[in-house]
Amino acid sequence: MKNKIEQTRRKLVIAGAMAPLVLSLPGRVMAQSQAQAGGGYYKDKVIIINVAGGASGGHARFARLLQPYLQKHSGAREVRIVNMPGGGGLKAANHIWRVKPGSPEIFFGNVSTLILAPLAGSAGAQSFDPVKFHYLGRVTSEPRVLSVGGKSAIKSIQDVQKLKRPFVFPSQGTDEDFYTMAVLGDALGFKVKAVTGYEGNADTSLAVIKGDGDGHITGWSESLGPIRSGDKNPILMVTSQPSPDYPNIPIATNIVPAAKRATVQSMATILETHRSYIGPPNMEPQAIAAFRAAVSAALSDPELLAESKKTERLVSPMDGVTQQKRVTELAKTSASLAPILIAAVKDIQ
Amino acid sequence: MIEAIIAGLTALLTPQAMLFMLIGVVYGLVIGILPGLGGVVAMALLLPFTYGFETAATLALLLGAHIATIWGDSVTSILFSVPGSAKGLALCFDGYPMTQKGQAKRALAASATGALLGGIIGAIFLALCIPLIRPVILALGPSEYLMMALWGLTVIATFSEGSLMKGLTASVLGVLVAFIGMDVVTATPRFTFGSEFLMEGISFPVAMIGLFAVSEMMKLAIKGTPIVDRSLVKEESTVWQGVCDGFSHWWLVVRSSLLGLWIGVLPGVGASVAGLAAYAQAVQTSKTPERFGKGAVEGVIAPDATMGANEGGGLMPTLAFGIPGGESMAILLVAFIGLGVVPGPDMLTKNLDLVFSMVWIIVIANIAVTLIGLGITPWLARLPSLQANLMVPIVLAVCFVGAYATRGHIEDVVVAAVFGIVGYLMDKYRYSRANFVIGMVLAVMIERNLHISLTLYGKDFLLQRPIALAMLLFVLFTAALPFVRNWRRQRKQAAAAGVSAP
Repeated sequence: MKNKIEQTRRKLVIAGAMAPLVLSLPGRVMAQSQAQAGGGYYKDKVIIINVAGGASGGHARFARLLQPYLQKHSGAREVRIVNMPGGGGLKAANHIWRVKPGSPEIFFGNVSTLILAPLAGSAGAQSFDPVKFHYLGRVTSEPRVLSVGGKSAIKSIQDVQKLKRPFVFPSQGTDEDFYTMAVLGDALGFKVKAVTGYEGNADTSLAVIKGDGDGHITGWSESLGPIRSGDKNPILMVTSQPSPDYPNIPIATNIVPAAKRATVQSMATILETHRSYIGPPNMEPQAIAAFRAAVSAALSDPELLAESKKTERLVSPMDGVTQQKRVTELAKTSASLAPILIAAVKDIQ
Repeated sequence: MIEAIIAGLTALLTPQAMLFMLIGVVYGLVIGILPGLGGVVAMALLLPFTYGFETAATLALLLGAHIATIWGDSVTSILFSVPGSAKGLALCFDGYPMTQKGQAKRALAASATGALLGGIIGAIFLALCIPLIRPVILALGPSEYLMMALWGLTVIATFSEGSLMKGLTASVLGVLVAFIGMDVVTATPRFTFGSEFLMEGISFPVAMIGLFAVSEMMKLAIKGTPIVDRSLVKEESTVWQGVCDGFSHWWLVVRSSLLGLWIGVLPGVGASVAGLAAYAQAVQTSKTPERFGKGAVEGVIAPDATMGANEGGGLMPTLAFGIPGGESMAILLVAFIGLGVVPGPDMLTKNLDLVFSMVWIIVIANIAVTLIGLGITPWLARLPSLQANLMVPIVLAVCFVGAYATRGHIEDVVVAAVFGIVGYLMDKYRYSRANFVIGMVLAVMIERNLHISLTLYGKDFLLQRPIALAMLLFVLFTAALPFVRNWRRQRKQAAAAGVSAP
């Protein structure tokens, strides 16, 4: 009896010791094959993703969603997420601009900030040139929506145009929504009174629901809850595609005067560059190719797509090569925005 | 409603939910004790492990961990003057002097009891206030937040004993340090001298680690004696004494808890301000304010009760509007979406049982934290008597790792060291370190809310915001109270001297 117990115990110990090895084999084989798909450049290396904003921000939510899949498809030993809040992404952008050659660091944040902040003459964006970054792939692009409070007397964008006072716009600072509002005000002919200093979209959202402010701009998913509950009312979208759920919300480019259409279109295209991976200017060509391949593979992984749907973090990929061309074009064509953005910044100083 | 209360509790009484809560509580205690890490980090690290489990179990894990960090933060503040995170700061003011006086057990137990009672009162009021949540939140705005910050400022006088000028100088230094980084209104870099690191500003937890923990360790290293030399100071207090303190100061606990609930409802005000406001309230309503800063047990009970109740208040904007009241609530919101729950007005009608599950989680997690806390207090209380040559390297290593862990920047380790020297010099020349951090915490909050109030409502914003005006009058009243009491006492003493003189 004692021997039997001893034998069983031994078997359990051996099985216990072998289990992790056996269980990890398929994963190792898969990881190796997928690392080859990414060129093998990152195999067994550590990748550091510097995410614009805090641990609970929108960028962090998407960066953490992608993290395991990026590791799987790049073959990296570890994909480390580092939150880098400050300056609406400018802090992280400046950091990645200055990293040494061969650095494993990548920036994850909003491409539109990199284009708009230098155009507006922002003090935190004087050191970098957005065209010289390496764009490695867009994860998602959400349409931006201008919403007003559910109980507000303003029911449509035409009501905003008819206002005999400035439209009060609570904002966290000079982020892409602040610049978008300035462009909309210019294009649609209404005055904007930006109230900066709010802590984030949650804060500006409450200000709009309370009636402290008239309206604010956010990504579509951030306003969806209050819109569904009637706390907020969407009156305008800045996008090139109408929302299938809310087809009646007007699109900015369709309602602005013809003379202003190019400016608003330029803004909408900039906004669509959205949450992306961005590499430093001195990134090695093999690293660029490998990272772009890994991002593309991760974004088409069925497991990721299922998780993204379940957690309402929907992805809308754009490959890095296309994105690079898009940013280069935008940098050339968006110069017309500069006077509007500079005037908006001057107004709050 | 009764049905929802019972359903909320039943959902929690599954083996998975109870196990998850226990794991969350133990993990939260460990994270809370580590300097630089707090509830937000605890929840952010747990989030990836929450998918695919019962809703109640997931919330028990996340909220349990977050609640446990409150007392975890207090432990190191009380024993070593090392705030676990920003919200543990107020515990350094009286908790550490209690440890130095040989009352560590009493301080730890009073702190755990305060947090427990605050948590329970907060949870009860959260349950009672459900129908009022939306109107209350809609009635408050930046002007009211400004008044709350001004109330925090009034505590400066408490730490300015000896020289008000030195106290104010320390506060102004704190304000200047808080202004380093991107200006919150125009995003213009201030005092950054072209440094990329300074654009992000000086991290508050890192500065605190330096000012309090590193400087205390410098003092110990120079003196060469432990925090508590048992040959001179015996540990004579008991855990039971601390528990009794919590209950005997029941009115202070109730006041502090309601304050915590109120601050929780104000999104963005934050637990560090809650701790300071609670401390200010305790000092200003005390009949013997001169005992504060020297080891008054009320100075330990009040901040913990406020922070315990703050959890219930913080849930309100998240549940009522789907708008997170702070970073930790934003993480909870992500978990809600992962669980298929949509916070917002419907939450308070269609998902009321889930709301009550959270109320129960707050209650049960607080009880678990207190039981574990009281159980380990006798062992924890021995730590300050470790010899300096053992204590200093251990605490310094933990502090510098904590400083690095706060944001993952090596520069923060240098900042902690620099602030350690600043803290040592301030202490030596009697400039209040507490006033420095009060200035640092409240500066940006005052700047932000004053700017928004002036832009939205103009110069006469107080006349347009009656609640803010009432709060200002209350702030003036509570600020004047200690001076009035002092004047009365002096008058009585003078009268008594006059009677006995002839």
